[in-house]
Amino acid sequence: MPVAVPVPEASATKLRFDSVLIANRGEIAARIQAACRALDLKTVCVCSEADRDAAYGKTADSFLCIGPSSATKSYLNKDALLLAARLTGAGAIHPGYGFLSENAAFAEAVEKAGLVFIGPDARSIAIMGDKISAKRAMIAAGVPCVPGPDTALPDDPSAVAQIALEIGYPVIIKATAGGGGRGMRVVAQAEQLHDAIALTREEARQAFGSAELYMEKFLRHPRHIEIQVLCDSHGNAVWLGHRDCSMQRRHQKVVEEAPAPGIAEAIIAPVGEACVKACQQIGYRGVGTFEFLYEDGAFYFIEMNTRLQVEHPVTEMTSGLDIVQEQIRAAQGVALAITQADVSCNGHSFECRINAEDPESFLSSAGVITGLNLPQGHGIRVDTHIHAGYKVSPYYDSLIAKVIVHAPTRAQAMETMRRALGDTRIDGISTNIAFLQALFQDEAFAKGETDIHYLEQWLKLRSKP
Amino acid sequence: MTSIDLTDPQTIAFLTDALTTAGVDGVEISGPSGTLRIIMSAEEKVSHAAPAPSPALSIKAPMAGIFCPPRPGSSEVPADLPRTVAAGQALGFLRLGPVLLPLAAPKAGLLTRQFVEAGALVGFGDTLFQIEPQS
Repeated sequence: MPVAVPVPEASATKLRFDSVLIANRGEIAARIQAACRALDLKTVCVCSEADRDAAYGKTADSFLCIGPSSATKSYLNKDALLLAARLTGAGAIHPGYGFLSENAAFAEAVEKAGLVFIGPDARSIAIMGDKISAKRAMIAAGVPCVPGPDTALPDDPSAVAQIALEIGYPVIIKATAGGGGRGMRVVAQAEQLHDAIALTREEARQAFGSAELYMEKFLRHPRHIEIQVLCDSHGNAVWLGHRDCSMQRRHQKVVEEAPAPGIAEAIIAPVGEACVKACQQIGYRGVGTFEFLYEDGAFYFIEMNTRLQVEHPVTEMTSGLDIVQEQIRAAQGVALAITQADVSCNGHSFECRINAEDPESFLSSAGVITGLNLPQGHGIRVDTHIHAGYKVSPYYDSLIAKVIVHAPTRAQAMETMRRALGDTRIDGISTNIAFLQALFQDEAFAKGETDIHYLEQWLKLRSKP
Repeated sequence: MTSIDLTDPQTIAFLTDALTTAGVDGVEISGPSGTLRIIMSAEEKVSHAAPAPSPALSIKAPMAGIFCPPRPGSSEVPADLPRTVAAGQALGFLRLGPVLLPLAAPKAGLLTRQFVEAGALVGFGDTLFQIEPQS
């Protein structure tokens, strides 16, 4: 379980704020509120009309509806959030994950309004938000990257074909402004290249407002490995260990674990150290995650998430740190109370994302939760905002809870998760619990080292009569 | 005792769901602001129903802000309710920093209720006033 880190004397650092507006909803709003309360900070929760009855609103110091149910008119409405901060006297804004958490313009607007953005500065977000500039920054810090140029693809088709030839097929084309698995296409052969470029360019233009693309080597059986970093504003940075998030469906993570199984410390430690160096070079502040593909003993940088991640609890369980509290302390201007030598990895942790969705079609399932039983016991943690009678809204992401377990070994952690999922009952709506239970009975998953394509193949096999 | 806004669509929807679940044919609720009658089915029952009173209008906050009364210095919920108001008449303001956003009566009628006090922080969609329109 997370343990408290020694807090430097308050007099040593003048704290920058005493109240935090939580610009998010759902389980992460509740999680951030808990961290703020532990740090004796006042909380301002905001909501859309659909979330007026949120339980975390009742425990906030202020709770304010800022707009209609549509996220674009509420949680993505920068002006409404800034107005709410001004009306309530909040000193800082925590963006959580998703919504405006990686929006450089919002971070800048928050700082311009005289408030503290709990996250890196706008410049860092902008550098890491652009795939090409991020890759350049990583190369400069010695972080290993996927083979491919660190420039946008030229317009000349013959020049693009030459780049693909030099990298070697298969290649993957990605939108430089893309993310979340969108705006990318795999090209297996030279004959497919021209059409794939044209299609991806158009998709990128429509989805991200920029048609700029880049190209990399496509790895056939990679795992998705992440490194969690924590940085203060005094040049101190540490990496808190690694996670395996290879269990993905349509590029969305389903199960995460820490540490990544079967990767020797001697292989991953230099990568972690390079991530720390990269953070120091760009003046990064707060928490962040470097995402890598891992194949045949080699790491390839994909992107950096300049925010708190959904899966941060598994690293909290193995490191014993409260990452959200650490993130807030960093934003306060407090120097890190730990060094790399203090960071350890104890035991093994899994997280299952409980989604309100049909277990077969994966379509979102809105409705009222008529009955609820959440698992409890040693080594089990549930991060959620739901309760019996809670109405799952169709307007937002289907994530309604995270079941997190911790045990001395991976096998024991899997057993604890099986028990926890068996004890979880959510009535009135459809959920993916049965699917997760089946996954935790899978032999290949139990052995570890399944790649990012495994889950899709597993689902295809399951769906066959 | 908590008052129920009988004109609130969400309240009506909730009551309708509750009646459906309970298998009840209908319900009639009377209060100071009027009468709400919900009949679940049977068209002939509807034909026997008395003419519905003109529905009360709820005036909601168009955005978050600090509620200000129409006259500076008023600090309490006005004691002169109900009172007649004209269409377009400012019932109060929302203060958004230096900007005062007027809250105008959408129709002429009888202002029967004010739900917030001067200086209160209100959110988007919070009910501020209730008016019974005059035909």
